[in-house]
Amino acid sequence: MSLSPYIPIVGLFALGAGFALFSVAIAPFVGPRRYNRAKLDAYECGIEPTPQPIGGGRFPVKFYLTAMLFIVFDIEIIFLYPWAVSFEALGVFGFVEMVLFIITVFVAYAYVWRRGGLDWD
Amino acid sequence: MTTDIAAETLKLPSLDYAALAPMLILFGVGCVGVLVEAIAPKKARFPVQLVLAVLGIAASLTAIVLAAGTEKVTAAGAVAVDGPGLFLQGSIAVLGLVALLLISERSLERGGAFVAQAAVTANSEADRDQATRGSGATEVYPLIIFSLGGMMLFAAANDLLTMFVALEVFSLPLYLLCAMARRRRLLSQEAALKYFLLGAFASAFFLFGIALVYGYAGRVDFAGIHAAVLDSPNDIALLYIGLAMVAIGLLFKAALAPFHVWTPDVYQGAPTPVTALMAACTKVAAFGGLLRVLYVAFERSQWDYRPVLGAIAVLTMLVGAVLAVTQTDIKRLLAYSSIANAGYVLVGVLAISKAGLASSLFYLVAYGFSVLAAFGIVTLVRDADGEATHLSRWAGLGRRSPLYATLFTFLLLAFAGIPLTSGFTAKFGVFAAAIEADQTWLVIAGVITSAIIAFPYLRVVVMMWLSEPGESTPAVSLPGALTAAAVTIGAAATLLLGIVPQPLLDMTENAAHFVR
Amino acid sequence: MTTADLLLVALGAVAVGAGVLVVSTRHIVRAGLWLVVNLLAVAGCYLVLAAELVAWVQVLLYVGAVVVLLLFAVMLTRAPIGASDDLDRPRWPGALIGGGAGLGLAALFVSGYRWSRVDLPSPGTATALGEQIFTAWVLPFEVVGVLLLAALIGAIVVSRPDIGSR
Repeated sequence: MSLSPYIPIVGLFALGAGFALFSVAIAPFVGPRRYNRAKLDAYECGIEPTPQPIGGGRFPVKFYLTAMLFIVFDIEIIFLYPWAVSFEALGVFGFVEMVLFIITVFVAYAYVWRRGGLDWD
Repeated sequence: MTTDIAAETLKLPSLDYAALAPMLILFGVGCVGVLVEAIAPKKARFPVQLVLAVLGIAASLTAIVLAAGTEKVTAAGAVAVDGPGLFLQGSIAVLGLVALLLISERSLERGGAFVAQAAVTANSEADRDQATRGSGATEVYPLIIFSLGGMMLFAAANDLLTMFVALEVFSLPLYLLCAMARRRRLLSQEAALKYFLLGAFASAFFLFGIALVYGYAGRVDFAGIHAAVLDSPNDIALLYIGLAMVAIGLLFKAALAPFHVWTPDVYQGAPTPVTALMAACTKVAAFGGLLRVLYVAFERSQWDYRPVLGAIAVLTMLVGAVLAVTQTDIKRLLAYSSIANAGYVLVGVLAISKAGLASSLFYLVAYGFSVLAAFGIVTLVRDADGEATHLSRWAGLGRRSPLYATLFTFLLLAFAGIPLTSGFTAKFGVFAAAIEADQTWLVIAGVITSAIIAFPYLRVVVMMWLSEPGESTPAVSLPGALTAAAVTIGAAATLLLGIVPQPLLDMTENAAHFVR
Repeated sequence: MTTADLLLVALGAVAVGAGVLVVSTRHIVRAGLWLVVNLLAVAGCYLVLAAELVAWVQVLLYVGAVVVLLLFAVMLTRAPIGASDDLDRPRWPGALIGGGAGLGLAALFVSGYRWSRVDLPSPGTATALGEQIFTAWVLPFEVVGVLLLAALIGAIVVSRPDIGSR
């Protein structure tokens, strides 16, 4: 396989990286410098910064489960893609297999949803 | 399989649904089980799940019986349906059903052996509260069904990739089940974490081995590997290292030394019914996979791997026997005993002959029944704090409850290989096969270690019968119908296979032919 | 040496270097970020070897999701945010075993293939892989669905204390 189709993409990457580096490098020379307390604080999405988050720095496990749920459906989407591009050739057989796969994974979703895994409080 | 397929002439794989039914039924029942968890009200879950699981395994067993005699490779080469495969699947179904009886017992402990909220901090107030009063988790049923389905696929997988997927499907639920013991939560969680980390490590070895074997043979299906073993122009070192790494993954699951270190901790920490499931069914599945890899894919390199695996067999028997002597906990003792027994099965496997295959199959079933009954009795010896597993607590048990002490004595004698028990028939079979195949050194090691390991067994027997019951000797709980049934089935099979082994011997003899 | 060879060597060097940094850095979060570099370099290798779909799966799943999950897992613990020594074992045995295994495998591949040349197979496009998955590997594919289901159920059962009580 020739790699030539990827040359424009690599070019775009180089352009993007160059722009980012240029912006960072040029900022100290051309921007005004006005310091104040708020600017020197760590930025935490508008929340008052605390040295140690509530709960001793540990996050509730529900974040992790949400992330895991995301990954499982991410994997499912990735299997959908090769199926979709060869859908014509695979026909009904491929369709049935894909539906079976999706049902299997959605059973997990039904379980999480019914048992309150998606409730946040 | 790797040829280019033009889009217009795409050849869809032929799926022999009758031959795949045993596994498909279990996977389907597992999915329905999860849906039951999602939909059914809390009170109804346990009975519904129990009935569903029993019916599912029974249906799967029926499908296996109906498929008996089939010899074919189906699902585009992913699954081989043949005598050993069906026999192993049948054993997994039957042993799994008996283990399910132990798992479902709820009269010994309120809510069963499993805790509903495994995430509660161990030894906290909430944890102590749920240990005595909480309802049990019913998610264990779909997990067990998935695990059994994975084991069946593992024993029938006809290429290394399918085998890897099956390995993960049967291992993952077991890791989780280990973490759900009602009592001694910390031990249980430690067991699950150890099993998971080491299991993931072994899986990585297995996967890397597949890559190396593929690098050598250019194929991952067993027939392709078999053809390439002598003919491939590639460096043979790739094959050896690849086979070694694949074997490490399999030896880990079968708990053979030096890949056995997880076994005592996991067997001790896991809920006892799950330990029984692992000792019986996982062993069958792991050896099923090992047999197929060694007999079908790598048969032609047997002269290379036999001495190495022979050394592993000797080491396993020695480690299991010698360390069993030092144990003070009954579950750990049975764990080392299961390690030693895995060594004896490997002796049969290494005969690389029809007799070796048949005797290994027989051994796996015979040992499975005995170990299920043994762990079933372990669940009965308990006091207010749960099971009393320390050996000192078993002193004088013969006076307190002669029936169970007699049964346990009988099972220990079976493990020791005393005549008129299934243990004798099984050991005789594997040793005879090994001698026939000129592997006398393995048999000598086997006989010596059998003598060593008889010592800890006899120590338990002496302790139960000749010691006075102390203050701390617990009375044996009256078993519920399910545990009673499981112990009866296991002990009866141990006795029957010792007295009239012929029907099962004939069955293994007829089944002992792999399709390639 | 062709451009592809040079790219492969360069990407391989980046992957190995980032891999060493993953295990040697003292900041546990930085280890996760070096893992991103490592996985991206491996994705580049896949791309050079004409396995397009696998390369993008690597970027989407591993770089995009699995590393995030790893960092989440770090946040679930009381791991320190700055540099820490107490997470490390003595270095020499680890370096010896890791280096030995890596060099041993490298030697194995060098002796196994020497200068033999293998033509690249037809590109692993989504179409080609789709056809393979749904013909030759359809059963393992369905079983993977079961594995995902079991993993998710298991993760919920062992981690959420509030779910079992419902």
